[in-house]
Amino acid sequence: METHKIHCKEVMSHICDNIGEESDSPRCKEIKAHLEKCECCQKYFKSIDSTIKFYKEYNIEINEDMHNRLMDFLDKHECDRQ
Amino acid sequence: MEEKELIEKAQTGDRRALSDLIKKYEQTVYNFSFKICRNKEKAENTMQETFLSMVKSLGQFSGNSKLSTWLYTVVSNHCLMMARAQKKHEFAPIEDEESLIDEKDVADWSISPGKIAENNELKEILDSAISKLEPEYRIIFLLRDVEGFSTEETGEMVKLSVPAVKSRLHRARAFLRNELNKSLKYGNA
Repeated sequence: METHKIHCKEVMSHICDNIGEESDSPRCKEIKAHLEKCECCQKYFKSIDSTIKFYKEYNIEINEDMHNRLMDFLDKHECDRQ
Repeated sequence: MEEKELIEKAQTGDRRALSDLIKKYEQTVYNFSFKICRNKEKAENTMQETFLSMVKSLGQFSGNSKLSTWLYTVVSNHCLMMARAQKKHEFAPIEDEESLIDEKDVADWSISPGKIAENNELKEILDSAISKLEPEYRIIFLLRDVEGFSTEETGEMVKLSVPAVKSRLHRARAFLRNELNKSLKYGNA
């Protein structure tokens, strides 16, 4: 049981290090094999993956007023009228 | 018109080309600034300062690197400079990599990515979590994971070695995941 827990922590650490990077090293193969059968590590993987996706998908839009204030700040408003 | 051509025209004083360059990147710069600052006013200020630097330096821009990469670097440095003026205690201390992972604290989350635009409660949770993360770590996470730069490119932008980027990225990912886990695990949201 204790060995399994240590192994899970190693896998989770590996996820934090390498998510998004593919590798065929023997260690990566070992990690993938563990992930396939360990529900706990799958949940951890999913939570790290979701963390990244949440911040990727949280975007805000610039509006026309902001663009105009930017051009005023740069003193380049005449550029938009060329 | 290609970016290279736009830059060359802007360098010769073509106002339309300069306006097109600004329009091409203002959304990216504003969005990235907001992602670091988590404050619309500070993000707008950062965007303005970034484009002011671009206008001043455009003449020296050689085209060896992409303008977008250069703009990301300016935003990162500007935000780091602003953050250094903030008090250190506003950020959570970053534990060592070992302590950041608790294999017993694992759960399904009550919400999946998607439809963030309509979910203000989730936005507050995301803002709150990342605001606790020291800017030196936040910028690495945003450049590498959110904006999709490679580890090497990220290192070049913030003048850090690849191992240093990897170490900060590891901690940032684990820290943010732990913070979100407090709010998003089943039963808490």
